Amino acid sequence: MEKKQSLIFITGGVRSGKSSFAEKLAAEMAGQISGNLHYIAAGKRSDHEMDQRIKRHQEDRKKSGLNWKTWEEHNLASLSGAFSKSDIVLLDCLTTLLNQEFFQNGEEWRDPVFQVRTMDRIVSGVEEIARSAYSLIAVSNEIFHEPAGSTSMVLAYTRMLGKIHQRVAEKADTFYLVEAGIPLLLKGDEAP
Amino acid sequence: MHFVTGGSFNGKGKWIGSFYGLDNTPHLWISAYKAEGIPRLPSGQNKETVAVLEGMEMWLKEWAGSKGADGARVEWQKQLEQWLKWEKQESARVLIIIAADITKGIVPMLAEERSWRDAAGWACQETASHAERMDVIWYGVNQRIK
Repeated sequence: MEKKQSLIFITGGVRSGKSSFAEKLAAEMAGQISGNLHYIAAGKRSDHEMDQRIKRHQEDRKKSGLNWKTWEEHNLASLSGAFSKSDIVLLDCLTTLLNQEFFQNGEEWRDPVFQVRTMDRIVSGVEEIARSAYSLIAVSNEIFHEPAGSTSMVLAYTRMLGKIHQRVAEKADTFYLVEAGIPLLLKGDEAP
Repeated sequence: MHFVTGGSFNGKGKWIGSFYGLDNTPHLWISAYKAEGIPRLPSGQNKETVAVLEGMEMWLKEWAGSKGADGARVEWQKQLEQWLKWEKQESARVLIIIAADITKGIVPMLAEERSWRDAAGWACQETASHAERMDVIWYGVNQRIK
């Protein structure tokens, strides 16, 4: 029998194919358990370019012929009650979640207490959904391969995202890095 | 020698700490992030068998600033040679070098930052070529590549 994978973590660079891979994985799991597909869109429509980006992802999901239910929500705690053991949830992506908290609260990002609280909230939101759903697939971005932090803001942001990734990778049953469309398994067993 | 690299804030030092059980092992930990200078060889009296040099890229930055990319590369070769000699003097000794990979971003506008990146990239190749083992750390998870 397949081991159940309640949390799958996927990272990769921009246009690495990490979202497509995550969607494929979700669809396969949904097929296996005759489950429902959910998509948490954490990004806010901030400008036209962002709008186009969201549209492209929506059309990709529509083309797949699968029935995705989309939740436009960045407060994960308010969602955890929405899922059950027949649900596969895709969260794309952790950076947009952090962006909402980090950039929408004025100068609070400078406060170490705010930083810890924000990281805790995001990580516990991920854990709660992973617990209540059949599986949560969390996608995030690679931003760590250049000199860290030209400004204190960038440094704080990078450090927070790095710590969030470390905690999610630790909790994850399975962890993939997607390089140019090729998923590399770094932790756990091949999913699903 | 064990070479460990990966992006910034990926838990590289933490991984080394648990991989070698450093909580219970006398060791020397020299960190460029704590503004600790160019690694000096431990004196003969030191009992530590494990030496960790963390933040290699920051030493390269310093040398690239004063000597240029080529000069920095040569300086690192010299330092590395010394440390490798230290490691070979006793069979129990282990040298660990940790470098954050700063080489995959957009080409920097400033010439000095470009030369730092060049120096860091070359130094990583040099270090990897001497390493018995090399791991890339992804958020606390290691990917062994040598």
